[in-house]
Amino acid sequence: MSLNFSSPLFLYGLLGIAVPVLIHLLTRRQQKHIRFSAVYLLIQSQKRSTRKSRPNRLLLLLARCLAITLFSLALADPFFSFRQSEAFLRPASIVFALDDSYSMGVQAGKRTLFDHALEFVFEGTKQAPEKSEYSLVLASSPARIEKDWTSDKTIFEKTLKAQSVSFRTTRIGDAMDQAINLLDSAKQKKKQIFLLTDLDKNGWKEEAFSKITAPYPVKVVNFSSLQSGDNKGMVKSIQISQEFLTRSRLLRVKAEVRNFSNTLSRKPLSLFLEGKIVKEELLDIPPGQTLAHEFSYPLRRNQPLNGKVQISDDALTTDNSRYFSFHPSQNIEVMVVDGDPETISHQSESFYLERALNPFSVSLSHIDPTISTLAELPLRNLSDFSVVILANVRELSPGYELELEKFVLNGGALLFGMGDQVNPKYFNEHLGNLLPIKLDSQYHVKEGALHLLLKNNTHPVMKVFSPKELAEMREINFYSMYTIQAREDRIFKVGTWFSNQNPAVIESNVGKGIIVLFLSSLDRDWNDFPIQPTFLPWIQRWTQYSARGLDSVFWQSLLVGEPFRKSTSGSDSNWIVHAPDGTLHILENEVFSNTFQPGIYHLFFLPSSETSSKTLEKIPDGAEPAGTFTVNIDVQESEPGKISQKKIESFLAGMKIEIQEPHSQTTAPQTSDGIPLATPFLLMVAGMFLLEGWMVRKE
Amino acid sequence: MENSAQQFDAQVLSRISTLKLTAMNLVEGLLTGQHRSRHKGSSVEFAEYKDYSPGDEIRHIDWKVAGKTDKYHVKQFEQSTNLKCTILLDASGSMGYQSPLKEQHSKMGYARTLVAALSYLLLKQFDAVGLTLFNDKVVEHIPPRSKASHYQHILHGLANISPQGTTRIDDVLGGLAERLPGRSMLILVSDFFVQNQDLQKSLKLLCSRGLEVILFHVLHPDEIHLPFEGDIVFESLEDDPAVGLDPKDIREEYQKTIQNHLNSFKKDCNGLGVDYVFLDTSEPLDQALSYYLLKRKSLIKL
Repeated sequence: MSLNFSSPLFLYGLLGIAVPVLIHLLTRRQQKHIRFSAVYLLIQSQKRSTRKSRPNRLLLLLARCLAITLFSLALADPFFSFRQSEAFLRPASIVFALDDSYSMGVQAGKRTLFDHALEFVFEGTKQAPEKSEYSLVLASSPARIEKDWTSDKTIFEKTLKAQSVSFRTTRIGDAMDQAINLLDSAKQKKKQIFLLTDLDKNGWKEEAFSKITAPYPVKVVNFSSLQSGDNKGMVKSIQISQEFLTRSRLLRVKAEVRNFSNTLSRKPLSLFLEGKIVKEELLDIPPGQTLAHEFSYPLRRNQPLNGKVQISDDALTTDNSRYFSFHPSQNIEVMVVDGDPETISHQSESFYLERALNPFSVSLSHIDPTISTLAELPLRNLSDFSVVILANVRELSPGYELELEKFVLNGGALLFGMGDQVNPKYFNEHLGNLLPIKLDSQYHVKEGALHLLLKNNTHPVMKVFSPKELAEMREINFYSMYTIQAREDRIFKVGTWFSNQNPAVIESNVGKGIIVLFLSSLDRDWNDFPIQPTFLPWIQRWTQYSARGLDSVFWQSLLVGEPFRKSTSGSDSNWIVHAPDGTLHILENEVFSNTFQPGIYHLFFLPSSETSSKTLEKIPDGAEPAGTFTVNIDVQESEPGKISQKKIESFLAGMKIEIQEPHSQTTAPQTSDGIPLATPFLLMVAGMFLLEGWMVRKE
Repeated sequence: MENSAQQFDAQVLSRISTLKLTAMNLVEGLLTGQHRSRHKGSSVEFAEYKDYSPGDEIRHIDWKVAGKTDKYHVKQFEQSTNLKCTILLDASGSMGYQSPLKEQHSKMGYARTLVAALSYLLLKQFDAVGLTLFNDKVVEHIPPRSKASHYQHILHGLANISPQGTTRIDDVLGGLAERLPGRSMLILVSDFFVQNQDLQKSLKLLCSRGLEVILFHVLHPDEIHLPFEGDIVFESLEDDPAVGLDPKDIREEYQKTIQNHLNSFKKDCNGLGVDYVFLDTSEPLDQALSYYLLKRKSLIKL
């Protein structure tokens, strides 16, 4: 049995007692000393007199103090609890499921909801009885156990202090699942889950609750009532495109901005490039609507650009900006060696390749092809080119294969196209260091018998093709191809298969470079591919890919928590990720999972021999910028809807649910648990005032 | 040395001269109502005849009247002199009360002037006057003398009073009753703030010895009305414990108590045939004195 308060903050009102005390002290009359003759008569009179004003003044002070005390106590909503003491004495196993999603970053006064939630957990652990054990589950995606059971309050508080609001979305269901698993292994008989959240609707997915069946009591503490302002809007999405004009290029940034408020909102939308604001627009967005706005920015130099689009601040700042990264395609210097130049231009490979790689007079594909004959080849400086395409080449001038080997080992790309001129004997004997396979023989088929087998488009080159385009590509007729044999101890991948289960494209990493072999011709001799519309992007993408075309990296835009996968197949070289918070990470298994912070991540390429340690403090010397990717928040979390109590109860059916406001402390019982005393206290206040009035009147 | 120093103390001397002047002024104005003795005796002034009875002085028989009427009548004369008066002045601490409210005569100053005036009056009539100062015991005793120069001694005695100690009137009167000559006069000047003392018994004793007793009850208005305000700690001028109170709370009760005190005193005195004179120090002393003398004169004439 104990006295408890629903709103203990009002107990600060007890300081008001100082007021009547001060009044009493200030108005106290100065005591005088008088030497008098008939003191014994005074004493006799005093004994006989019924009137005593001094005790009255003390009583008055007492009455006033009591009135203020009772009033403060009444405001603090006191109640007698019989359950409380029992609950307080018994140690408990408590799981704090803390929603650390970014919606908890909404401002609540000078702090955020998350700060209030953390404070709540602090208070909860302080108030919990001795021998209680605590654990902490973070309820953002993916839900995870941050701290397993501990009875040591200091350790637990240390864990709490290390927490901060994340940029992730909410996953209440998984968090509850984790909490139940923890409670299953808890030591204490009394078990309790505290779910501290803003009740954001997004975090409550019905399917996540399907397997939750445990009779543990759950107190859902709703912090959303504390928020001091509304999330008025967000940048919903951002799209980057590049537009070509005759002389210059334009960067177009299209941003969608959502207005969450019920009124027409005038929001300044700003475009930041490289940290500087470059454009700003005022948008009048109707209530509840999304408005798209497109910024145009002239690209003056052919350099990568990183930036963000931002709207004015509101209670939740996290969703007010969205990052993008733009990398203008760099020209890839390609040398096309035509091994079978014809007098009729459209019969030679170079004709198709030149047009496919650079279809317009102005270099818009960022591939700059140079046509060369075999005879000219020794005169060319290979280091001027990123990619060398050997189309239908019979054999190279003596010793030139060594040049090519050197070129590839240093990072060059070598593309082979087959044809009638190709001498498999020469290829197998002289290019053994380069080619991972041996050319076997020409394979001729009837028209319509051989096609490309494009089952899945997981290859980085192929993934841009739409299903319709892939279907078109499958229709292309092939008449001839080379069959191959694998060389021992050589590793290669098959990029595309023919319908007769023979490889169509194989690729292999050699040194820093790459070898790509197309086992049919690059002109119309063996197939109809060069005159198909898909040939152009296909050959361009293979060229970009083999030249370590970085577009696949630049255009990767991820959501918080989505792993970054390096699409270009790399050798055993190292890749370093420079996160927006300044930390450096080494890319392991070509996947980077630590994308929990929105912003622009920079990728660096480092030759394998130059790093050994897993942790990095600064970007090592010799590391070359290899692109960027952006991580943005999942805007679903920003949607302002809240889950209803009814829904919560239905999701957590079978569990004893209690939804409470954060003001009532963790383990403190609710008013419903005891006898409310506010009214009697208020009546007593009235009584005290009556008594005070009567005494003042009497005096 | 110390005594002489005290005697020639300038303050004392000035007090004497002021006292003398004040007393003389007072008395000169009052002489119309001269003091008269109630005792009849031999004198030059004839009072009345009385039938002779054995034991009467033969020389007082009026032979002329005996010749005419054949009856012996004895002449009687008024006795107007040779009164011995002892003035008892309370010199206890309570008599030293001085009001903190306004500059007024201290109670002792008032009593001192009264005693000086009475002494002057009596000496002027060639009566013998003595002065006894007391608190819980006799502090100073100046025996009665009728010489005019004796006045100076009395004034000295008065000037040297410093009120202190507690009041024990019954003890002092008990002691004095034995020593005072019979058929003399005793004037007692005090505030009569005495606790647990049977004053009535002592007065009865004096009266039984044929002494004419006059009580002058001197009180300061503060002691009657208790006009103080606020939280006050009253410290006793004698040996009572200090008491802190708000006078407002007990004023009514106190005034009632003091009135009862005065009334009972008055009643006791009337019962014993003792003259009782109440003096409020706020009243001019001459008024009080003349009022009393007039009253006595009328009593005698009756």
